[in-house]
Amino acid sequence: MSRIQLIFQDYQEKITLGLCLLLSLILIFNNDSELIKNSKIKSLDTFSFLYKPFNWLDNQLFLNKKLEILSSENLRLSLENQVLKVHETENMRYREFLNFKKRDDFDFIGSDVISKGVSANMSSIIINRGSNDGILKHLPVLSSRGVVGKITAVSESSSEVQLISDVNFRLSVKIAPDEVEGILRWIGNDICEIVELKKISDIEIGDIVLTSNLSIYFPPNLPVGEVVSIFEKSDSSNRIVRMKLFSDLSKINQLFVILNEGIE
Amino acid sequence: MSLYIKYFPVAVILQLIFSELLTFNGYQANIMLLYVILSSMPLGNTAQSTLYGFLVGLFTDFVLFSGIYVGASSLVFSICGFSASKISFNFAFRNFDIYWISFIHLGVLIYALFRYDFFFFNDLFLFFSNWFFVTYFTCFVGFIIIRIFNLKEKILNA
Repeated sequence: MSRIQLIFQDYQEKITLGLCLLLSLILIFNNDSELIKNSKIKSLDTFSFLYKPFNWLDNQLFLNKKLEILSSENLRLSLENQVLKVHETENMRYREFLNFKKRDDFDFIGSDVISKGVSANMSSIIINRGSNDGILKHLPVLSSRGVVGKITAVSESSSEVQLISDVNFRLSVKIAPDEVEGILRWIGNDICEIVELKKISDIEIGDIVLTSNLSIYFPPNLPVGEVVSIFEKSDSSNRIVRMKLFSDLSKINQLFVILNEGIE
Repeated sequence: MSLYIKYFPVAVILQLIFSELLTFNGYQANIMLLYVILSSMPLGNTAQSTLYGFLVGLFTDFVLFSGIYVGASSLVFSICGFSASKISFNFAFRNFDIYWISFIHLGVLIYALFRYDFFFFNDLFLFFSNWFFVTYFTCFVGFIIIRIFNLKEKILNA
């Protein structure tokens, strides 16, 4: 028996552990590579049948509760809609008068979340819609309450969604009603921080945060969250605002992908 | 090895149930980690146990846990598979519960470190809350599973 074989036998356990750890670390440090992303999406495509019975059961179990919530939400929205219709007519008249560009409605496609991580603060999830349904990379993803993330990888029947709670996620937003623009990043739970806001801007707690007109992938005016605190930085001309997301990221089961940007 | 093969479908089904239906405040019990630790304990061949841990980790990364770095589960399960099979039989017999609970702590700790983008980059409170919630939820579920499947006797007699 050669010397190498003898050494291997003596250190077999440690060599195996070392190799496994090395391979794992190579995978971890190459998570952003297209090969890993595509392999992950393809494997999920292949094994998506595993999730179907559980998704179905989940939907059935909470159907009554969901119906109840949707009914009350529907009533609230119907009332709000009446008021908005009046404003819309008025708004359209002004836009026509000022010769503004016409806006289209968004094309949404509904989807179910088929896979989540083990922690409450996920960075990405998988939905059961893919290129067969018209999904493309970078399309915005919303829950019924507001923005939750964007598509980062697409396969034929499923897609990966990078959530706002990913530490690398940034979103250009504006704070209504003054439309002060800033950059949003997640800091923990359902709280995000908006930076690069001018100190002279007029912001109050309770103001609504919307996607700005500057975002490349997100159409403007999508709801994101609500301002909960404002910080002044003495050494800077900017201020920092913290906002609470409208969407509860730990409880997202159904999502919507915007297929077009909605602007002509 | 027989435990690894025998309980793999059960572990996958339980993990899917806990992922889809039985989450606690958004946290899920890590059944696959529990499965790797318990299956590795009676395995005499540590190299084999490490390799199985790695392969189960790859399956978990690619199929079950999308929100985790690919490679994180294989890293955690390799370490836990290696360490759990190193156990001496007498120690396991007397301290069975302490043993697997300690490894659950270790495994979830490594997960939490990776989740927070390498060593507290994000938020220390979230790091600890993630570690403790996932660990104790997994331990709680582990106790129930061990009692239901009578795993203590099966593992110690394997």
